[in-house]
Amino acid sequence: MVYLFFFIVFLIVFAATSSDNVSIGGAVGNVNRNSPHVITTFTSVMTIFGLLFAAAFFNNAALRDRKYEFQEILFTTPIDKFGYFFGRFFAAIFLSSIPLLAVFAGVSLGSFIAPIVGWVEPDRFGAFSMQSFIANYFLFIIPNMAIAGSIIFFLAQQFRSTIVSFVGALLIIVAYSVSGQFLSDLDNETLGALTDTFGIRTYSVVSKYYTPLEKNTLIPSFSGLLIWNRLIWLGVATILTIVAYLNFSFSDKKITRFTKESANESSDKKSFNRPEVTHIQDSTINQFRSFFLINFKSIYKHVTFRILFLFSIILLLSDLISGYEYFGLQSYPLTYKLTDSIQGTTIFLIIILVFFSGELIWRDRDFRINEVVDSTPHSTLIPLFAKTLSLFSLTVLIHLFFVVLAISYQLINGFYQIELGTYFWHFIYNAFPLYLAACSLLVAIQVIFNHKYIGYLISVIIILGLDIIFLIMDIQSNMLFFTGKPFLLYSDMNGFGPSLTGVFWFNVYWISLSLFVLILSGLFWARGSVSSLIDRLRINRQKVTKSYFALVLLSGVIWFGIAANVYYNTQILNPYMSVDESEQMALDYEKTYVSYKGMNHFKLIKADYGIDIFPSDKRAEVRADMLLINPNDEPLDTLLLNVTREWKGELNIPNLKLVKEDTKHRVQFHVFDPPFMPGDTLKAVFKNTFESNGFSNNGESTSIIDNGSFFNNFAVLPDIGYSEGKEISSKNKRKKFGLPPKDRMPELKEDCGDDCLSNYLTQGYSDYIDVETVISTSNDQIAIAPGSLIEEWTEDGRNYYKYKVDYPSQNFYSFMSADYQVATRDWNGVSIEIYYDEKHSVNIERMLNAVERSLDYYTKNFGPYTHKQCRIIEFPRFSTFAQAFPGSMPYSEAFGFVINLEDEEKNNVIDAVIAHEMAHQWWAHQLVGANMQGGTMLSESFSEYSSLMTMKSIADNPMDMREFLRYDHDRYLSGRSGELEKELPLYKVENQSYIHYGKGSVILYALQDYIGEDKVNLAMREFLEEHKYKTPYPTSLDFLSYLEPKVPDSLNYLIDDWFKEITLYDNRLIEAIASPLENGKYEITFEIEARKVKADSLGAETVAQLNEWVDVGVFADEDEKILMHQKRILLTSEKTTYRMEVDSLPVKAAIDPRHILIDRIYSDNIRKVKLK
Amino acid sequence: MGKLKLTNLSKTYTNNVKALDSISIEISSGMFGLLGPNGAGKSTLMRTIATLQQPDSGSIEFNGLDPLSNPKEFRKSLGYLPQEFGVYPRISAQQLLDHLAVLKGVSSKKERKELVDYLLHKVNLYDKRNKSVKGFSGGMKQRVGIAQALIGNPKLLIVDEPTAGLDPGERNRFYDLISSIGEEVIVILSTHIVDDVRELCTDMAIMNHGKIVYNGTPQEGIASLKGRVFEKQINRNELEEYHANFQVISNRLIGGKPVIHVEGEKPDSSFKAIEPSLEDVFFSKLQNQS
Repeated sequence: MVYLFFFIVFLIVFAATSSDNVSIGGAVGNVNRNSPHVITTFTSVMTIFGLLFAAAFFNNAALRDRKYEFQEILFTTPIDKFGYFFGRFFAAIFLSSIPLLAVFAGVSLGSFIAPIVGWVEPDRFGAFSMQSFIANYFLFIIPNMAIAGSIIFFLAQQFRSTIVSFVGALLIIVAYSVSGQFLSDLDNETLGALTDTFGIRTYSVVSKYYTPLEKNTLIPSFSGLLIWNRLIWLGVATILTIVAYLNFSFSDKKITRFTKESANESSDKKSFNRPEVTHIQDSTINQFRSFFLINFKSIYKHVTFRILFLFSIILLLSDLISGYEYFGLQSYPLTYKLTDSIQGTTIFLIIILVFFSGELIWRDRDFRINEVVDSTPHSTLIPLFAKTLSLFSLTVLIHLFFVVLAISYQLINGFYQIELGTYFWHFIYNAFPLYLAACSLLVAIQVIFNHKYIGYLISVIIILGLDIIFLIMDIQSNMLFFTGKPFLLYSDMNGFGPSLTGVFWFNVYWISLSLFVLILSGLFWARGSVSSLIDRLRINRQKVTKSYFALVLLSGVIWFGIAANVYYNTQILNPYMSVDESEQMALDYEKTYVSYKGMNHFKLIKADYGIDIFPSDKRAEVRADMLLINPNDEPLDTLLLNVTREWKGELNIPNLKLVKEDTKHRVQFHVFDPPFMPGDTLKAVFKNTFESNGFSNNGESTSIIDNGSFFNNFAVLPDIGYSEGKEISSKNKRKKFGLPPKDRMPELKEDCGDDCLSNYLTQGYSDYIDVETVISTSNDQIAIAPGSLIEEWTEDGRNYYKYKVDYPSQNFYSFMSADYQVATRDWNGVSIEIYYDEKHSVNIERMLNAVERSLDYYTKNFGPYTHKQCRIIEFPRFSTFAQAFPGSMPYSEAFGFVINLEDEEKNNVIDAVIAHEMAHQWWAHQLVGANMQGGTMLSESFSEYSSLMTMKSIADNPMDMREFLRYDHDRYLSGRSGELEKELPLYKVENQSYIHYGKGSVILYALQDYIGEDKVNLAMREFLEEHKYKTPYPTSLDFLSYLEPKVPDSLNYLIDDWFKEITLYDNRLIEAIASPLENGKYEITFEIEARKVKADSLGAETVAQLNEWVDVGVFADEDEKILMHQKRILLTSEKTTYRMEVDSLPVKAAIDPRHILIDRIYSDNIRKVKLK
Repeated sequence: MGKLKLTNLSKTYTNNVKALDSISIEISSGMFGLLGPNGAGKSTLMRTIATLQQPDSGSIEFNGLDPLSNPKEFRKSLGYLPQEFGVYPRISAQQLLDHLAVLKGVSSKKERKELVDYLLHKVNLYDKRNKSVKGFSGGMKQRVGIAQALIGNPKLLIVDEPTAGLDPGERNRFYDLISSIGEEVIVILSTHIVDDVRELCTDMAIMNHGKIVYNGTPQEGIASLKGRVFEKQINRNELEEYHANFQVISNRLIGGKPVIHVEGEKPDSSFKAIEPSLEDVFFSKLQNQS
């Protein structure tokens, strides 16, 4: 068994080391494939599997002598209790740690073989690190086996039951997943790290801010959170083991029989006449019911069932109690959130089904009543179906119970919009088919294989193993994954969405398949003492009745018919590509067409859209009348056009002819004849239709749907020229295919000339243009396009709207249609409009306020708003984001509209998102960066900063902002830890979100704190005035030229440190001592340690000369809400002693009390003040 | 008058053990004892008759019915108490019997209740009808077993080693029950306890190595040995010598010294003639076969 486990672990780890297709605990990314970080991740994750080994070995250690009834012999020999007990215990620890050594073998051999065979480039591997193996063995393997083992050993010893000890193993996994819930909030991170049984999340919290360099070199250490976690759990293990030891006894406890035979039993000798049984006939219904009831009872009375059921309740409750969090806010308990939670317990139901499918089929034989039952005159199919149905009914009842729990939760929380229909249909679409198919199939497996444990193995392989096998084989058809179907997401706006048809068909496919197999398995039912598959088939075949045969045939034909339909829809009508195929496709595309990269093309200078949306048909027709110009110095003759599968476009330009079409890569070549001369303009018409046919394997597009259609102009307009977006982007994949490295963005240049003629949004295909749209939709919906609504009418029972953009803007628009409610408010002539679903009216006032607040701050500080309207438009929760288009901001229903803000007095993340999107109306739409490094700083960093400033404008406690900044700090520091290529300084950011959102906002916020809000805003305002709605587009260097004059000489170093380099602070407060003064005041002595480090793109750090202005301050309270006093001081050496006089005795003292500097470990910046 | 006829039944297991070797026998109403040492093939034969196992060859006929091709019809007349009768946990005697009664086709709920109550009274378990059978003693379990076998007026009752593990009192009560079953029913009692057969059965067979080595009444068997069995007490070290020279059918210890039974003509005067018992018949038949 040890060898088998060792081999399995070895295979998994070897595969993960030598292939990108297999990963353990997340993608390896930019670090070496055999780095200490990867080894630690592999080891700690594999110890979860180790639980299985521990369960086997420890259970065996505790019970084997009893199991083989050897104990009476053994326990009468003169062995001592201590030696026996701990001998077994430590032997089991050692044994179960052996298979995990395979992690080391797998990594070592993988990193040796993979480069030789050429699976992975040699430079992806670092030096062999024996130390990290040793550290991992003693930090994870031995402790985890001891911890899990002691729990299992304890249970096995106490209950003398194998099943209870395996349930114990399951319990550990549940505890592990429950502790994971703590990590959803930054506040509970430490708690989550300490409660993790395996230390896996402890390590990920510890290594959260590790740079790639640190991941390659740092060996997990016996310190900090990690050692605390280990000590806590080893402590628990020790206590359990001691208790088990004390309870352990060689002499057998008497197992009491609850019924003792009474002596007077034979006294009752009443004589009865045998009652007449008038008719003996086998009533199928009666037999079925009796089988059903007796099996049903046997499951729900089963200890294992009760334990599993209890755990699924605990899992559900822990999910409910932790609430539906979003950045520290709670969502309302909407019915779809609760059905999602119920869905989360599926795994337990599947475990129940696997376990009891075997239990039910083997029950008669296990309890040796099979011969009696088998010799009664019932039809073999009756127990087969009755058992399946009893299993299925239990799942239905459990589900119902969960629904009752969920509804109670809603009611307890005072939420009364309970949608029984949603519960019902969620059950019908998601739960019912899964459980029915699983019950039937699992029972059939047990019947056919006629061996309980082989049956379990096959079941587990089908449920879990197939996923892995198909992943490796690159098979993606949901027709092959057990109960596979497209993902179904419920949205308040759009119900179950466009994938419902596909889900329905996949559901009936799986139900019919599993019923067919179940019926067929009747041929293999073991009645009496027959065993081999062929014997069973031979004997049962003799007894096949015509009606059974008809049933097999009928179910087979039904399944086949459904399968044919599903196959036709998902493979022929809507083909899809596997990962390998699409990689090959991307590779071919790049190889074939890369020579067209940078080819001259026209620019769009005006667009008139005519869009007809037919929501119920999920169809849209678009006509774009475009005015094009040739902006180049030479004539244009060739045009490369990319088409997509769902949008079938037809480009109509005079003089343009289609000359070549590559249907595989969906590329068309057109020729201008005569050529398109420089400076000339052309009118072009582009017709495009969105249509979906049937259903597909992975679900449908969510652009055009029943309610909440949402698509942008890039989806509608022709995609011209070589598309870099179609290239393979992963650095390692490119290397593997021999492709040259790809630049994420063009390099930042000082005098950029022509390179600044295109921006990163429209990539040079257009600049600021006029747009008019006539858009129509069904008569119950409102359709929205960019600009002011000019006209509105009804025609042929459809609603028509004409919109016109008030100010030429970037060609970056969205078109939407849904059954909306509209809330409006006037702000200085600008119409603030919120389009929302009628169910989501609760936060609308607040959203209007947030828009108003943004308009106030931005117009005052940056410049005028250029549109006449300002729209927030809700779209279904198929995506969770908000986005800014000129004058309009689509906002997902998943947040904002459903978050409970009742207790949020002032600032919250929903307002912050609105403020951010509003800021884009200036930073992205009035001024947008050139298409080169640093471009996104001018839109994303500026918007995130602006958003922080609107929050600051209404915050009355300076400490409030620390909460919001903390998310930005975390975003930056954990983002850089997961960087796949290289980290860049802010002014050269390559569309890296952790830099432009996280770092950019922190730095700009810190800057306004250091040089003043007005100065930073003034620099931004001047910069905007110079460049707004103008080409060439500005760069980050242009902005710095406005900023630099505003920075006083003493702080000049900040420009280099913060914008042009990667600078981190390592500040800590060693001690803060308060001494009472004679005047009743206190003198606080700060012992400060400070370092400033510069990091390179991989995170290698060098210590820089310290000459820093840093805040020190004191808090009056434990919660750090009242900042009594602060002072900015100059630190010039690593150790500084600073004295401050304060009026009363503070509770805490801090360096950088408001957390505005980037410091990887902020917690050591604050200390309790000690009174001298 | 019921009749069960087995013709040339054979069964060989995959490990080449011949469990049934051309068994042909006719059994009619009344108690039929099937004697044989452990591993003789008794249980295989019982299971085969009970349609729980298919013979490799041969045929069975019961009152004109072929159980092998029409097991369902046959099972309606069958009561079966297997060698190992287990019970479901967490289920009472009444529930268990009710379930089995349904399976045997007693479809009227009222009749089923009466029948189950009657049987529970009959096997003296009525007071414990709501207790979990799992906690019952071996004898009580066996009584539940016979109660279930009696459900639905069986014409053929097969009881396989029913008294193993029962104390003498339990055993007697158990046999009281069986013998009270109507005379129209064929009862096949398989056992390795000679006394059981002697006390209860009107007809019997002895089985060894898959073969029927004797078929007849117990009395005939005893009569066939009349005057041919002799007894002698010998020393332990002489045992081998006697085995070589005489047809020793059995030996057992009395007061620590072996007492042997020899079959044949009286060897010499040191041997004492005795009345043959059924046990002597049993050992004699086994000896003669090997």
